[in-house]
Amino acid sequence: MKVAIVDYGLGNIRSVVNALECFEVDVVVAPTGADLDGAARIVLPGVGSFDAGMRGLRARGHDAALDRLVRERGVPYLGICLGLQFMFSGSEEGSEPGLGWFDAKVRRFPDVPEAPKVPHIGWNDVRPVGNAALFRNLVPPFDFYFVHSYYVPNEGDAARHACGLCNYDIDFVAALERDTLAGVQFHPEKSQLAGMKMLETFLFNR
Amino acid sequence: MSATYTKNRLIAVLLVYNGNVVQTRRFKSINMVGSAFTAVDFFNGWTVDEIGVLEISDSDDYLDKFVGIVEELSRRCFVPLSVGGKVRSIETAQRYMRAGADKLVVNTASYADPALIGVLAQAFGSQAVVASIDARPDPAFSSGYEAMSRRARDATGWDAVEWAREVARRGAGEIMVNHVEHDGDKRGYDLNLIRKFADAVRVPIIAMGGVGDWDHLVDGVRIGGADAVAAGNIFHYTEHSTKKAKDYLRNAGVLVRNSTFYKIAMPRRPKYKPF
Repeated sequence: MKVAIVDYGLGNIRSVVNALECFEVDVVVAPTGADLDGAARIVLPGVGSFDAGMRGLRARGHDAALDRLVRERGVPYLGICLGLQFMFSGSEEGSEPGLGWFDAKVRRFPDVPEAPKVPHIGWNDVRPVGNAALFRNLVPPFDFYFVHSYYVPNEGDAARHACGLCNYDIDFVAALERDTLAGVQFHPEKSQLAGMKMLETFLFNR
Repeated sequence: MSATYTKNRLIAVLLVYNGNVVQTRRFKSINMVGSAFTAVDFFNGWTVDEIGVLEISDSDDYLDKFVGIVEELSRRCFVPLSVGGKVRSIETAQRYMRAGADKLVVNTASYADPALIGVLAQAFGSQAVVASIDARPDPAFSSGYEAMSRRARDATGWDAVEWAREVARRGAGEIMVNHVEHDGDKRGYDLNLIRKFADAVRVPIIAMGGVGDWDHLVDGVRIGGADAVAAGNIFHYTEHSTKKAKDYLRNAGVLVRNSTFYKIAMPRRPKYKPF
């Protein structure tokens, strides 16, 4: 089974590659959209900033390939961190449009003295919502490892499809699912057994 | 309750001297423990929240070997990995990051090069820069501690707490604090020192140095106010050590990550690679 990792040229995707390579799958790093063809699973790790990332995706033809493979053909997709945020129409971090699979805008955590520190970094609880397929093999309560300054608000389209919520002074969407689309704000590849179990669930639907 | 709203972390620290994992006492390596990979698996038990690997050789001769170790470790451990030792330039930092580091631990070079922490924070983000500060008691300084560099050999002239404020200003995302005389002594952290650091800066404090029993970890959080508690030696001579430490913290009411065990088939996870 080919698992393609979307590479848009901004650096370190190694941890995600390392984690996926532990499983009985063929991990392929895809530098262009054409390299995603034939993948049974597509993983988009988040590196860098929103605008630079979206420009990288477009320059390498990933946006069109993702639309075709993920949206039209239903190849299961997992977006990690920024890879979750790209699924939205835009972000306060920049001005580039996102992939627009969900109609909402990613926001910045308030950086004021009375609010907790930004970035939100460390282990935090994720509360599963509904029958979350991603978490069906995990026993709550569980923690995942987060590093981010921007978040998906628990509102509208995102709230309707949220399958995991996290609280960092405010509730935000830690994970969402819609059909074969999934996205997580945390880093499963850095979240020990809970993360590896979630990746196993995504890869093998079991 | 942690000030950050995230969980208090347990960090296992590996010290690598001339390519081998060692134990130290007062910053002198005293005991060779063996291979980093064995040590990490031994630690792992999948309960540790973060792993730190520090290169403490006297020369640069073992740096390539160390980078190789980091690279192998990153294929086997799925927690944040902090890597330090000989971080004097963006080039070394890049080598560590490419080898799989999530965070860089900076100490000695940050005294001589005032730009270093800022340059690293700019390149990798503040969350990736951990300033490590080794303190020695000295009543001549207003906090009662002086910061020491070069594995505690050189006095820097900096008040340790003042230096903590300075590295935070320069962009360090976390501060690891060790006490020169507690290192390897099993008498627990210097809680007075940890508390002074925790009160002085807003960035998370990692307590290090002197853990001899699990109560010391609890004290580091409860009394010292540390966000994370780190230890090295103790994990080497206690079986299932990180799990015991974690259970102890949880039972003492410290807010720690849930580390439920899950059985997962990872047929291609790299095997031990002794060296």
